[in-house]
Amino acid sequence: MDATKYHKNYQQLSPDIKQESTRQKRKEHFARGVARSVETVLAGLEGNPDLPKGLNYFINVMRDVFINSPGPNFLEAGADSRKIVGTYCMMIPEELIYAAGAIPVRLSGGSYEASCIGDELVPRDTCPVVKASIGFISLNFPSVYERCDVVIVPTTCDSKRKMGEELSKFKDVWMIEVPHIKETEGSRTRWLEQIYALKENLEKYTGRKIRRKNLDVSIKMIGQVWYQARRFYELRRLSPSVIFGQEAALVLNAYSYDTASSWTEALAELNNELAELCKKGCFIGNNDTPRILLAGSPSVFPNWKIPSLIEEMGAMIATEESCLGDRYFYDPVGTTEQTMKDMMAGLGSRYLMPCICPSFAPNEDRLYRLLQIAEDFEIDGIIYHVLKGCIIYDFELIRVEKIMKERGIAVLRIETDYNPEDVEQIRTRVEAFIEVLKVKKKKRGE
Amino acid sequence: MNVTKLRWTVLTASFLILTFGGLIGIYLGDFLPTFACAFVGGEKVGGICFLYPMQAALESAKWQEYKSILVTFFFFSLLIIVFGRVWCGWICPLGFIQDFLDLIRRKLHIDYIRFPQKLREGLKSIKWIFLFIALLIPLWVAFPFFAPDVARDMRMPFCSLCPARYILPMVSGDYLRVGIDFKSATSITMSALGIIFSALTIFGALLKRRFFCSYCPMVLFISFYKKIGFVRLKKNIQKCTRCEICYNVCPMEIEDVFKEREKEDVTFADCIMCLKCVESCPEDDALQATFLGKTIFRSTWTGFFKGTLNR
Ligand code: SF4
Ligand code: SF4
Ligand code: SF4
Repeated sequence: MDATKYHKNYQQLSPDIKQESTRQKRKEHFARGVARSVETVLAGLEGNPDLPKGLNYFINVMRDVFINSPGPNFLEAGADSRKIVGTYCMMIPEELIYAAGAIPVRLSGGSYEASCIGDELVPRDTCPVVKASIGFISLNFPSVYERCDVVIVPTTCDSKRKMGEELSKFKDVWMIEVPHIKETEGSRTRWLEQIYALKENLEKYTGRKIRRKNLDVSIKMIGQVWYQARRFYELRRLSPSVIFGQEAALVLNAYSYDTASSWTEALAELNNELAELCKKGCFIGNNDTPRILLAGSPSVFPNWKIPSLIEEMGAMIATEESCLGDRYFYDPVGTTEQTMKDMMAGLGSRYLMPCICPSFAPNEDRLYRLLQIAEDFEIDGIIYHVLKGCIIYDFELIRVEKIMKERGIAVLRIETDYNPEDVEQIRTRVEAFIEVLKVKKKKRGE
Repeated sequence: MNVTKLRWTVLTASFLILTFGGLIGIYLGDFLPTFACAFVGGEKVGGICFLYPMQAALESAKWQEYKSILVTFFFFSLLIIVFGRVWCGWICPLGFIQDFLDLIRRKLHIDYIRFPQKLREGLKSIKWIFLFIALLIPLWVAFPFFAPDVARDMRMPFCSLCPARYILPMVSGDYLRVGIDFKSATSITMSALGIIFSALTIFGALLKRRFFCSYCPMVLFISFYKKIGFVRLKKNIQKCTRCEICYNVCPMEIEDVFKEREKEDVTFADCIMCLKCVESCPEDDALQATFLGKTIFRSTWTGFFKGTLNR
C-alpha cells in the first residue's frame, strides 16, 4: 500500500548543524534554557499549598522528560527496549503503536527556546508550535527525541503538513493524509486504508505482527486511558472546581511522554483523591469565581503563558479544548467485536470522525462541541487563544463568537506566541475581562 | 441486565414461542408483522406472519375473504403502530436465526462484510420487488386474465420465495417441507429460487450482520408507519460528537443516525430497534429510545465504558 509515504533521511542537507562542536554547545545552551522554563512552570504549580497529592506524579514526569537525565524510565535501554514512535496532532491510533510493541510519544512542541531554534528552519510566519516541534527535533533533545527514529505526521494544517517535509531532514517521517472533508464515504474509506497502511509500516518497523489478540489487548488498555480521562472530565465539571485548570492541563499533557499504563494508574489515583475532595467539599474559589473555557490554539507544555495568567487573575480554567488536553481524551474507541476489521474500523472512526481540529472543513462539529462544553462546565467566558500564524483557529473565531454571543457568553481573543515579552500587556486585557465576568456573575447570583 | 442480554432473552423466547408455542397451546394469531412462518406446521406454530393470510385472501377472489383480511390488517397495523421495529430486532424468528449465525461468526472471529453505499442503494429495490410479488401476484392468481396455467402454480408466491418458509420448518425439525416442488415448471422455478434465497440468507447472515433484513418486505411494511409509530429513536444534536460508533455497531449499517444534524427523530427506514446504537453511544443522552414520547432507554458514558471495557 502506498498510503503512507516514507521519507529518506536527509540529515546531510541540514544547514548550520554541520559543525559538531558548535552543535554541542548550542545543545547545552538549549538544554539549560528549556530546563529553566520548565522548572519555572513546575515550581509555579508546586507553589499551590493545597496541591492534590496525586499531581506530583505528573510533575515528576515532566521533570524527568525535560530536566533530569537520562529521562523517563521507559527510555532507559535495558529496562525497556521497545522502540519509540513520535506522533504529532491527534489522529494517530496509538493502539496500533502499542500493539506493534512500540511506545508512542506525542511530540508537539511548546517550548519558547525550541521555537527560537525553529525560527531559523521555517518561514517567519509559521506558528510557534511547528517552530518548537522542529527546534526540538533538530537538536535531538531531550532524550525522548533522541530515542525515537521515526515520527508520524498527519496532514492537518498547512504548517504541520510542510513541517513533515522539513522534519525528514532529521528523522524518518511517515506522512498520513487526513481527509479535510471527513463525512463522505470516499474520504472515510481512504482514511481507513491509511490506517491499514500505518499498521503495515509499524509491523515492518518493529518486526512484530499486529495480530487480532495484540490489538484487542491494546484497545482495552487504552480504553482504560479514555475511561480515567472521562472520569477526570466529569470530576472537573463540578462548579466550583476541585482542581485548577492548569494542573489538569499538566496531567493531560504529561500523557504525551508517559506510557499509557503508568499514566492511567496515576490518574486513577488522582481521580479517587479528587472524588474524595468533592465529598469533603474542598472546592477552589467560590460560586463567584468566573469559569473560563480556554479555547483556540493549544497551550502546549511548557508554554503555560496564558493558562497561568488566567488563573493568577482569579479566574478558573474549567476546561480547555486543546488537542493535547481534553479534546484528545474525550472520545473513546468503540468496538463491540474482537474481529480485526471491526477493531480497525473502530480505530479509524475514533481518530477521524469526532476530531474537531479546525483543519477540517466544514467543521460545524466543533461549534456543537463547544456549546456542549460551555453547558457541561457552566462556562462564563471564553478566552480564545490564537497563536501567531495559526490561521485556522482564527478563522473559526467568527463563528464561535457568534454562537456564544447568542448564549450570553463573552469571548476574548488573545493573539500571541511563545515569547514572554507581551505578558504584561496581555495581563491587563485578561484582568479587565475577568473583572467584568466577576461583576456579571455576582449580579446574577444576587 | 444490559440491553444486549435483555434483547437476546426476549428474542430467544419469542423464537421458541412462535415456532413451538403450538405444542403447549399458544397461538397468537395470523396478523403478526414478523416472519413467524405458517409452514412450521399447525401443531407447532405459535403465531403466523401477516403475509400468509394476506396472500391467501387476495388469491381467493371472494368478497367475504377480502372483508375479513381488512380486519386482520387492522390488527396487524395496530401491532406495528404500537411496537414498530421492535418486531424485527426483538421478536422475529428469522431475525433470531440471523443473530444466532452472527454470534457464531463473532465467536470464530470472522470479519463481517460491509457493502459500499452504492451497492446498498442499488439493492434497496429488492424489498419493493418482494412486496409487489406478495401483493400483485395473488391478484393475478385470483383473476387469471392471462397465462392461467402459470398463475395456478403461483399460489402463495412470496412464501415460495421467502427464506423463512424453508429455514424455520427446518430448524423446527421438519425437513419434509424443505425441497423443490416438482409439480410444474413454475413451481420448480419458484421453490428453487426460494431455496437459493434461503441458502443465501444463511451464508449471508454468517458474514453480514442481519443480511436478509435489508431485503425484507416486512421491514418495508413497517416503515410505512414511521410517522405514527409509538417507538422511536431520538438524538440530541448538540450532544452527539459524530464519533461514528453508532454506525459501526449498527447491524443495518444505518449511517444517518450519526450524520443527522437537523432532526431530532432518527428512526430511519431500515432500523430494527435493536438499540445497539443507544447502548454503544458514549455520550449522555445523545441517543434515546422513546415510547410515546417517554424515554425508555438512554445512552450514558458510564454505560458505554461498562460495555466496552468488559467486552
Ligand atoms: S426485517 Fe428481519 S427481523 Fe424484520 S421481519 Fe424481516 S426478517 Fe424479520
Ligand atoms: S454514537 Fe452517539 S455520539 Fe457517536 S455519532 Fe452516534 S449518536 Fe453521536
Ligand atoms: S439504528 Fe440503532 S436501533 Fe436501529 S438498527 Fe441501527 S443500531 Fe439498531
